[in-house]
Amino acid sequence: MSYSLNHPSAEEPLIVGRNLTKHYRRGSETVRALDGVDLSVATGEMIAIVGPSGSGKTTLVNTVACLDAPTEGSLIINGIDTRGLSEDALVAIRRGFFGFVFQKFYLLPTLSVAENVELPLLFLRRNPSRRTTLALLETLEIASRADHLPRELSGGQMQRVAIARALIVKPKVLIADEPTGNLDSATSDSIFDLFEDLSHQGLSIMVTTHNLPLAYRASRVVTLQDGKIVKEESRKG
Amino acid sequence: MDFHRHILAFATLAGKNLLRRVVRTSLAVTGVALAVAVAVSLAGFVKGYHGAITRSIDMLGFQVMVMAKGCPYEAATMMLKGGTGLLYLPDSIYTNVATDTGVASITPVFIGVAEKEQTSIQDDGAGSFIVVSGIEVPSFTTMKPWLSFQTGTGFDGGRWFTTDTEVTKEAPENIKQEVVLGYEVAEYEQRKVGDTIALTITPSGAVSSETHEYTVAGILSRTGTQDDGTVFMPLSSAQRIFNRPSQITVVGVKLKEFSSQAIRQFEERWISLPEVQIVGLQQVKSTLLNLISTAQAMIGAVAVIAIVVAIIGVINTILMSIHERTGEIGIMKAIGASRSDIFELIWYETLALCLLGGLAGIIVAYGGSGIIEFMLRHLIELGVQGEIVVISPGIIGLSLGGTVLVGFFAGLYPAWRASSMRPLEAIRAGE
Ligand SMILES: Nc1ncnc2c1ncn2[C@@H]1O[C@H](COP(=O)(O)OP(=O)(O)O)[C@@H](O)[C@H]1O
Ligand SMILES: [Mg+2]
Repeated sequence: MSYSLNHPSAEEPLIVGRNLTKHYRRGSETVRALDGVDLSVATGEMIAIVGPSGSGKTTLVNTVACLDAPTEGSLIINGIDTRGLSEDALVAIRRGFFGFVFQKFYLLPTLSVAENVELPLLFLRRNPSRRTTLALLETLEIASRADHLPRELSGGQMQRVAIARALIVKPKVLIADEPTGNLDSATSDSIFDLFEDLSHQGLSIMVTTHNLPLAYRASRVVTLQDGKIVKEESRKG
Repeated sequence: MDFHRHILAFATLAGKNLLRRVVRTSLAVTGVALAVAVAVSLAGFVKGYHGAITRSIDMLGFQVMVMAKGCPYEAATMMLKGGTGLLYLPDSIYTNVATDTGVASITPVFIGVAEKEQTSIQDDGAGSFIVVSGIEVPSFTTMKPWLSFQTGTGFDGGRWFTTDTEVTKEAPENIKQEVVLGYEVAEYEQRKVGDTIALTITPSGAVSSETHEYTVAGILSRTGTQDDGTVFMPLSSAQRIFNRPSQITVVGVKLKEFSSQAIRQFEERWISLPEVQIVGLQQVKSTLLNLISTAQAMIGAVAVIAIVVAIIGVINTILMSIHERTGEIGIMKAIGASRSDIFELIWYETLALCLLGGLAGIIVAYGGSGIIEFMLRHLIELGVQGEIVVISPGIIGLSLGGTVLVGFFAGLYPAWRASSMRPLEAIRAGE
């Protein structure tokens, strides 16, 4: 699996978020889950979002991925302003642009590994090719499990299937919310190895984690606290 | 992606979801199957019973009689009046009415009353008269196809009389005339095939009576109608001995369509004939038709209730299943499923439940129709002939179409519910 840097202007970020704000009402008080965050994502960048529990990591990645609309602020994805778009229009933007990986892998228990991986193609009305699927599973080192059901896999294997499912549509940006939250440290390491590889091939990755050593393998580390960015560190190279 | 591949992929996905909870799915399918089986059996019963009743109506013989105004048409009345009340019509009425387009079959009948020989010790006043019917055998037997001859010792060889047109060479007085006896006449008079029977008749306009001897050509089996007490002879013979040439008493008519409307229209067409009355089997008909429509309404209500209960079961099953799969539906939306994709998926599941149930129900109803028929016949005296549960291809087609339609509507609400879930809330709720 390889990502070519075929984006027309490499300087133009894929995603530009300005003053992203998300308020939740909880009874009479308002929770500022996101409080004026500016964040842009460039091609091939791997961004780790860290911060204590409840600091707004999930809210940030969901907002950036158009799964949730911000209360305030603007979000431009691939040059398209997402403000006020309908759910169907947001689906159209998400499709094929974002890949998602969650802490709980959310594989469909009735489908085999290969079928789970090919599921997004069904919604994109693209014909699956078993050869492509197997090649992808090969790079994720789970090709031997292609015909197994999810319940027959270990946690690390399930997360790899979920990553394969995210990658099958060749997204521009991979959103991974606590992908290693349910995995042991060796497995977590290998997942981050994979992320590094993918980002070197041109895939942009936004990953949230509690694990600081892992986070510092990213090209940029954004620290959130109470919905605000309190620290932003970039690593050249 | 080609269209049928897409449908197939969605249908497979839906099918796998259904197989996830085999017990729950089976229960919902069983509910639909039972409802469809009940509906199909009841529809088959209504259809079969309707057919059986129609056949029974055909067995009534004359549906409509055309006769002179004031003429009695029941045997008892004729007897009481000793034949004096009988009124006659010119036989041109018969040829006229025969041209009516609503008529399926028609036959002319001459009715007269004869005195019997005082041979039997059982004779009483009323018994000394006997009804004589002059008939045209071909059209009469078309109208009453069930008439058959008694068999057994003394009865074998029974047949209809030869008509006198076949024997015109000799003077009528010299011909040995033949008659056919109704069952009760033969029993009462102790006659067998080949015996003679004497009838004493007072011809129209004459003062004194004449006695004629006849050979018994055949004896009819019991019919349970007034034919059992009748002596049949050729129409022309009867007209001659009663001295009423070209006259008839009754025109018996069977209409192509047996309905109150058809009878009313027939009446309207012929009531204008002077001196004519039209007697239909009004009460019989309206009672029967009312019974059928009442039964249909009851049966329809039962079927509707069964189907409503099954639909509620299906909707409940699907709602439970989407509730359980909230997180999955959220993830499908996150990975690119549109509202209509989710709608389609859930809708297929509902449709599949209904279709499976429908097919199973039809098979059950089809296989069980024999049993139902057997039970009905043993539980209730239906008084009809032939199959009473008829599951036709039409009923099968209709019920399959019906289940698809029901599935279509039953699926709308759960599918809408599932497709309206916001992906994020769905994922969170599933956590
Ligand atoms: N749907 C919601 N309704 C109300 N409050 C919410 C909702 N989602 C998140 N929050 C609140 O917003 C804050 C940020 O949550 P989240 O983004 O999940 O943090 P993190 O992922 O860093 O743990 C928390 O206080 C959380 O309780
Ligand atoms: Mg979180």
